[in-house]
Amino acid sequence: MRIRVRVNGREYHQEAPDHWTLLRFLREGLGLTGTKEGCGAGECGACTIIMDGRTVNSCLVLAPEADGATIETIEGQAEGGKLTRLQEALHKHHAVQCGFCTPGMVMSIEAFLRVNPRPTVAEIKEAIEGNFCRCTGYQQIIEAVQEVTGQRQEQEELGHA
Amino acid sequence: MFHPFSYVAPRTKSELLGILRDDGDRSRLLAGGTDVLAELRFAREAPKLVIDIKKVRDFQGIRLVEGEGLSIGPRATCTDVLESPVVRQRYPLLAIAAGKLGSPQLRNRATPIGNLCTASPCADMAAAFLALGAWVELESAQGVRRVPVDSFFVGVKQTVVEPDEVVTRVVVPADMEGAAGDMEKLKRIRGHDLALASVALVKHGGKLRVAIGSCAPTPVVLPELPIETPVEEVVAEAHKVIKPIDDVRASAEYRTFMVGVFIERLMARIEPQQ
Amino acid sequence: MLEKVPASELKCVGHGTERIDTVEKVTGAAYYTGDLCFPGMLFGKVKRSPHAKARIVHIDTSRARALPGVHAVLTGADLDVRVGLYLVDKYVLARDVVRHFGEAVAAVAAESPEIARKAVDLIQVEYEPMTPVLDPAEAVKNGAPLVHPDLGSYDYVQEVFSPVGGTNIANISKYRKGDIEKGFAEADVIVEREYTNPSVQHVPMETHVSIGQWQPGDKIQIWTSAQSPFTVRNLFCHSFKLSHNQVRVFIPYVGGGFGGKAGIHLEPLACCLSRAAGGRPVKIQATREEEFSLLPCRSGLVNRIKTGVTRDGRIVAQQMTMLWDAGAYADYAVNVTRASGYSAAGPYEIPNAHIDAYTVYTNKPFGTAYRGFGHVEFSWGTERHMTILARAIGMDPLEFRKRNALRPGSITLTGEVIREHTGNVTKCMDTVARAIGYGEPLSKELEDREARTGKRIGKAVVALHKAPAMPPFTGTAVVLRMNEDGTVIATLSLTEIGAGTYTSIAQIIAEALKFPVERIKIPIENDTDRDPYDWQTVASKGLMLCGNAGILAARDLLNKAYDMAAQVLRANPCDLDHDADRIFVRHAPDQSVTFRSLAVGYAYPNGSGIGGPLVGVGRYIAQGLTNLDKETGQGLPALDWTYGAHGLVVEVDPITGEYEVLKVASAFDVGKAINPLAVRGQIIGGMIQGLGTAMCEGYIYDAAGKLLNPNFTDNKIPTSLDMPAEIEAYVVETPQIDGPYGARGVGEHSMIAICAALGNAIQDACGADLTKMPIRWEDVWRALKTAGPQVESSATIRNRAACNTRK
Repeated sequence: MRIRVRVNGREYHQEAPDHWTLLRFLREGLGLTGTKEGCGAGECGACTIIMDGRTVNSCLVLAPEADGATIETIEGQAEGGKLTRLQEALHKHHAVQCGFCTPGMVMSIEAFLRVNPRPTVAEIKEAIEGNFCRCTGYQQIIEAVQEVTGQRQEQEELGHA
Repeated sequence: MFHPFSYVAPRTKSELLGILRDDGDRSRLLAGGTDVLAELRFAREAPKLVIDIKKVRDFQGIRLVEGEGLSIGPRATCTDVLESPVVRQRYPLLAIAAGKLGSPQLRNRATPIGNLCTASPCADMAAAFLALGAWVELESAQGVRRVPVDSFFVGVKQTVVEPDEVVTRVVVPADMEGAAGDMEKLKRIRGHDLALASVALVKHGGKLRVAIGSCAPTPVVLPELPIETPVEEVVAEAHKVIKPIDDVRASAEYRTFMVGVFIERLMARIEPQQ
Repeated sequence: MLEKVPASELKCVGHGTERIDTVEKVTGAAYYTGDLCFPGMLFGKVKRSPHAKARIVHIDTSRARALPGVHAVLTGADLDVRVGLYLVDKYVLARDVVRHFGEAVAAVAAESPEIARKAVDLIQVEYEPMTPVLDPAEAVKNGAPLVHPDLGSYDYVQEVFSPVGGTNIANISKYRKGDIEKGFAEADVIVEREYTNPSVQHVPMETHVSIGQWQPGDKIQIWTSAQSPFTVRNLFCHSFKLSHNQVRVFIPYVGGGFGGKAGIHLEPLACCLSRAAGGRPVKIQATREEEFSLLPCRSGLVNRIKTGVTRDGRIVAQQMTMLWDAGAYADYAVNVTRASGYSAAGPYEIPNAHIDAYTVYTNKPFGTAYRGFGHVEFSWGTERHMTILARAIGMDPLEFRKRNALRPGSITLTGEVIREHTGNVTKCMDTVARAIGYGEPLSKELEDREARTGKRIGKAVVALHKAPAMPPFTGTAVVLRMNEDGTVIATLSLTEIGAGTYTSIAQIIAEALKFPVERIKIPIENDTDRDPYDWQTVASKGLMLCGNAGILAARDLLNKAYDMAAQVLRANPCDLDHDADRIFVRHAPDQSVTFRSLAVGYAYPNGSGIGGPLVGVGRYIAQGLTNLDKETGQGLPALDWTYGAHGLVVEVDPITGEYEVLKVASAFDVGKAINPLAVRGQIIGGMIQGLGTAMCEGYIYDAAGKLLNPNFTDNKIPTSLDMPAEIEAYVVETPQIDGPYGARGVGEHSMIAICAALGNAIQDACGADLTKMPIRWEDVWRALKTAGPQVESSATIRNRAACNTRK
């Protein structure tokens, strides 16, 4: 099917097989390999993108379902090479280790902060529970989010005994 | 990665029903896709056609229908239900159930009707709809029919939906508006998981309605009980209708036990609306 | 090589510098092997066995070969090639028999993933199912069906391992210290129990993926998600009888490894398919389901521990029999067995010890290296046992641990003497105990919570240690090259799999050069043709060995620069010093020459040149270590010991078994935290991964050996909602004298013993006595239901005391 889709502000008109997932279309059809496949089954969230304003697991969306949609992926975040405040915070707080979950994690948090700019820790945890991270244990990710929302009370640090 | 199939997105209900009449037995209906596409990964063969119902203009969203009650259409997602002011104020159990399904990403796509049609014994919305005495409307090129949700499931992942039919609405009757209800769901972790056992309980109009998931080949509902029924009796009634199994997720024994615990908790927690 | 720089003068080391690899990861620009695409690239897919054990009667590939778009089809019959890290027991594709559910029996390469999948479906395999052996206790019995009937004929590393031909025993490691019978005779109380762990999977977010290209002329290139490029190259060459010059291994960014990518896995198959397809590159990417059964996991363990203690709390004798359920192939499991054996005493001094550790073959997906390398598995048993022993003699479990803890002068199980600078496990325990209020009355808030909810709070402190499990002669090299502008590129073959080691090494190099860390580049990608050797990225040894090599490379580079500068400035080299930009005469600092002008050779004003491009080479090898005696286990295996402790607070519902971890505090003696934020990330990440093993992970098989949960639906891992409500991470800094700026590794350690911390805290809360993992809520419920007369939990005692006080 010929798909018309707006991705990171740019219009694309492109053919894709009907049975391709949106994830595969983004990665192989459009060359946007930032979004990753972690399980192909909608569990791990590595493939999270924003579609028409909502986060979805792009491995469980067919490419043709995105016809007419507005899509945001990780590649559209940093504009002109300038990191977003969230990306800066993740960088500063060592919230990224292997990086494979990171694109999906960024999109989940980005969508979340648009509707909840001053969340509690519990709300942050709820918002990212569909994004598995095997490396960080999530703590420094949460601290990075709190930096963005201006809610850090005190520095969380490595204690020295 | 799927075996190849064709995709079609009808724009009107009559177009959809026509496709179902001709190819319903070789097709899969696609709403949120979180069950259908997850299944298709392993399918030995692809369906001929995947029919996306999300572009059908005539399908309604979430609305109150005079004389009927709360009507939820096939395009409404769990997030829509969870966030809907109408649902939260008037049928809060549905918002609770929708909030227990999956992760944020899954809720943004999964639909209550899709959840019912997949008919997993663990279906998160099913117990809530059963407890609220809901019914579904099915349409085909032949006509329309209504089926109460407690007759909708006929086996593990099996419903009464014919190959040429589509569920166009699930309706919670108006006389359940404002019903006090809540749900408990047993999982293995605090993150998203399917239900190992679930109980939805409603107190309304002097009656107690209890529905249970993951403890039988289908979600089940108890016969209506008087609201004063003591907890022990409710639990005993529940034990009569459930047939839990041992599997990799939990034992039948623990499921049975937790159903009792959930009933106790919900009975204590739910205040019937005055 | 402790650099004697006071902490206050360290400019780079000790700071939470931002990582050198985050920007590309956080923008999606980082490329992983699965993102790579080459001209003519084909897609590989494997056909896998549905049986745990079967004879392959016949494979019909004709329909697959005939499918348009298929370029290669291989079965085991085409590939008489075996691979093995320590014991060469695995064919690239199963030949004659399959030994585990999910094993690859055939593979195809095709022009698209769809065609590849269809081709795999068209391959017909006729099996004759056989009776598998699934339980290691059954597998070691006489007359058990053999997983490897030809075990006696396999090549193996003879100095280290002891396979027993004609059995299912791939290795026996023995440790003997003192006199075990005498020890038990001295004991007042003897406790003997058995603890078990299932297999668990690493679950890297990026599944295994390799691209192989076997060009005509036997020139091979491999792009792969792996931890050890030189191991991939070495084993590949060994198996295919090639020269190292013929094989080049590239590793781009890696999406997590945790040991699962430490060896060689999909690379041989990808290359063989490429060879069969005329040299076109072939990419094989494991699906998540394949990750769970085609790729390896962590061995299971049955650990029988018998310990004798005196009434005053001294351990006098410990006997252990470990049955490591290695699955169908030995892979790393034989070394896990060895390395666990010498560590299995835990960080305690045990005068009389007798350990027999067996690597046992079963017909299941096989175990490989996994963070902790056996220590997560055995510490479940040993640290549960320590608490059980303490309770048996009426001693507080923390007191008991401290009483027996290793301290300077202690002798380990292998005969090593612990020194002042080895590390301080007692300080780690004290730190976490304080952090969780161990031994103190519950806070008012928690007391009220207990009273209100009926739930019970429990606390536990556990201790751990680990040394790198590696050959005693493990070495590494780092090469520094100065660019024309004075910046520096460092190359090494440690891989950056997420731990942040590269950033710490950049800080070390910067410190040693006295340059700002921004001037040091370490390319994340690895290339065996261009980068110097490193053994493997495992074992928590990378920071220490590569850090030291980096310091030596820095010194070498500076020496060469000083040589040139001395000529240019007509000065004695000993009178020179330098800062970030220039080398100058110490007593006449205006006489200087910039690094930029030396970087690629110095040119005099008249055009004559001296010196040459500045390249610094540093090599470092572990020294003074030895193999272990095969009968007694005595020797010096440990590069360093990292000690640690966890304190855990749990709340348990005694009616339903549901529990919630309220707090974890973890402390590790890292010697020197080169980058505190990176260390914190490793501590917390490993601890959460360990809680996953403890709470919800584990392979489940049916009676026929079929894996029932090869997916995220039924193999849950911790999400953000599964975190303890409070997490604290601490470091103790007893300098490692031969470590870079005093540092030792900590990559694995936080995963170790957290399982026992949970088990002990649950027992403290409600008396539930668990010996099997994982600890699901149902398991707590069942333990409470079926327990006979129970050891009274501390929570009960506390509650009763509180009630009595109020009266």
